[in-house]
Amino acid sequence: MTHTLILSYVTFIYFISFVFYLFKMILQKDIWGRLASFAAWLGFLAHTLAFILRWKASHDMGLGHAPLTNLYESLIFFAWSIAFLYLAVEWRIKNKSLGVFVVPVAFLLMAYASIAPGMNTRIEPLIPALQSNWLTTHVLTCFMGYAAFTVAFGCALLYLWKDKTQSKTAPAKSAFSQKLPALTMLDALIYQSAALGFVFLAIGIITGSVWAHYAWGSYWSWDPKETWSLITWLVYAILLHARYVRGWRGKRLAVLAIIGFACVLFTYLGVNFLPSLHSYI
Amino acid sequence: MVLLFIVATLLPPPRDTQEITWLNDLYHSPLFYVLSALFSLNLIICSLNRLPAAIRQFNAPCFPPPPGIFENPETTHFILKEKGMTAGEAIIEKYASVQFSSLKKTKWEKGFLFCRERGKFSLFGVYIVHLSVLIIFAGALIGSVFGLEGSMNLREGETSSLIRLDKGRGVHQLPFSVRCDNFLVEFYDTGAPKTYRSDLSFFKNGALMQTAALLVNHPFTFEGVRFYQSSYGAADETKAVIAYTGAGKESGEITVNIGDTFALPARKAKATVLRVEENIMQLGPAVKLDIEAGKKNIQFWVFQNIEEINHANPGLFAEVPLFNPGLFSPLVFSLKRLESHYFTGLRVVRDPGVPFVLSGGILILAGLIIIFFTAHERIWLRLEKQPEGIKISVAGRASRNQAVMQRRLERLCQNLSKGLAT
Ligand code: HEM
Repeated sequence: MTHTLILSYVTFIYFISFVFYLFKMILQKDIWGRLASFAAWLGFLAHTLAFILRWKASHDMGLGHAPLTNLYESLIFFAWSIAFLYLAVEWRIKNKSLGVFVVPVAFLLMAYASIAPGMNTRIEPLIPALQSNWLTTHVLTCFMGYAAFTVAFGCALLYLWKDKTQSKTAPAKSAFSQKLPALTMLDALIYQSAALGFVFLAIGIITGSVWAHYAWGSYWSWDPKETWSLITWLVYAILLHARYVRGWRGKRLAVLAIIGFACVLFTYLGVNFLPSLHSYI
Repeated sequence: MVLLFIVATLLPPPRDTQEITWLNDLYHSPLFYVLSALFSLNLIICSLNRLPAAIRQFNAPCFPPPPGIFENPETTHFILKEKGMTAGEAIIEKYASVQFSSLKKTKWEKGFLFCRERGKFSLFGVYIVHLSVLIIFAGALIGSVFGLEGSMNLREGETSSLIRLDKGRGVHQLPFSVRCDNFLVEFYDTGAPKTYRSDLSFFKNGALMQTAALLVNHPFTFEGVRFYQSSYGAADETKAVIAYTGAGKESGEITVNIGDTFALPARKAKATVLRVEENIMQLGPAVKLDIEAGKKNIQFWVFQNIEEINHANPGLFAEVPLFNPGLFSPLVFSLKRLESHYFTGLRVVRDPGVPFVLSGGILILAGLIIIFFTAHERIWLRLEKQPEGIKISVAGRASRNQAVMQRRLERLCQNLSKGLAT
């Protein structure tokens, strides 16, 4: 079970990375930022390796399904998508201050996957209904969407925080605020990641419906998970409209992104406490 | 007015679904239909309200360029001295049409104007998305009005044309009948089901029309009605197939149920089947027989895997006579196999709305991609004669992501000056 071992290291590395991002924020030394990024990259690569190994292990067991079929595997993949998108954004905007808000989410998901009681970490054969490529696509796209929303959420927190420190220390320069990406940039990032997540979630919902159509005989059955993913999607639709039609910017957009993220979490975890077809994820 | 509509419509969608989550069947309630209708109406009105502006934008001619655009600080100018007008034109035509295919050109009082345009269609992405939301709504409505949802249980060998409708709405007769020829279920070692499959035959007016193998995730459609493998169960008690040998002769196979009694060719005896077990004491399938000969009763188990059991536990029969299939001499019994009969649970659905919902889904994706990954972009170039030589001004507008446009303009300017330098 090498992959399980690697994953526990990955959890630890993400934590280290988060601590370095924190140091960077407090101490304002670039070296911490570089270390933090390095740790995040290392964690991400190991994470990818573990994902592939787990897939391979499933093949070796003669099952051969992508590791996306239970809560444990989905948490691992969610964390992976977050790390992936975050590193892409960091690379694009050449600014490391977002990490403090996003990397810990990846860490927490990994930690939850490894310590939550009753978490089934074994690779198990699939019951007939889950043997479908639509399902793999569905899970993949949904989690890419969730990851994009997580990045939007991180940007929103950073935005609110910067907005606050900036207005408090008004003209006097708070050293950290100076290093943060410009507010307009954050605002654009919130919008772009929300839009990306919106498209991914749309694909996720559609592929999920196609799967349900084949597996259950009904493309939509209003089960709580479906309903909540629709609600989440509509919340982000509101965000996009608010910006495009009403011209909402900055603070209000950030608040919407945070509300949206709360919906994502509820869709993903909270709904598990309600009876559902999705009980295996 | 438009704003009012927008504010009004931004609120209802999450609320109506949310509230109803808790009250399960309200998705088919009148309230839900009314809210959906209001929502659609709003969507239509808002879209229609905005459509003329979009069409105007779509048809807007390239020339004249928007007033003041060349005075905007975002515009990049540059001047070049020693070249003449024809050289300028040639350079613009060469470089400006690299990224955008069609370059339009017109005369202007001091020289020439050029315009390139692309992604016009991006203006309609929003309407495509809104239209597809409506199409999906329509599909859902069609499905719930004209659709059919029910289930049917068929034993192996049984034929039926009746389905039980969901939510106790009664029974529906299909215009054809279905027979389950065979049902098969396989398990993993863990005991979880691996596959289940029904072989179905479809009959119309007594004639066999088609046969199909139905698996989970692989529905089958006959005359617009889709069949899904959804569940299964044991139709009746498991049957045992047993045989016995006596004096070197083997009897034929006898198929029995629990409680069945059959006559034996020795000592006027009768055998009764007491139990039929799929797996007893981890030793596999077995039946328990009671043999009545005269006044005496003998009971013993007959295991299917008796040879392996005996091999693994030598001297077993001496210790546990109850396990000896030859306890009633001179006959020795054997269990050939168990036969279980299943019924297959089918979901039966007819939903004429599906094509609408599916095309709505595809359209919505197309629309979203058009909205977020394309933009309506226009670039204008102005070429004018100046005392020192010629001057080229470049400006651009994009319906989204002006930053990308700015970068593109810079690259274009670099190319133009490189071209003019040679
Ligand atoms: C009744 C409800 C709705 C109204 C009144 C409405 C209205 C509008 C309006 C006026 C625009 C701007 C169009 C323009 O100026 O060119 C817009 C954009 C858009 N709408 Fe809607 N809409 C509604 C529902 C929806 C729904 C349910 C979705 C899909 C989920 C949706 C997706 C979009 C998207 C993706 C955009 C583009 C936003 C952007 O460019 O950032 N709309 N909507």
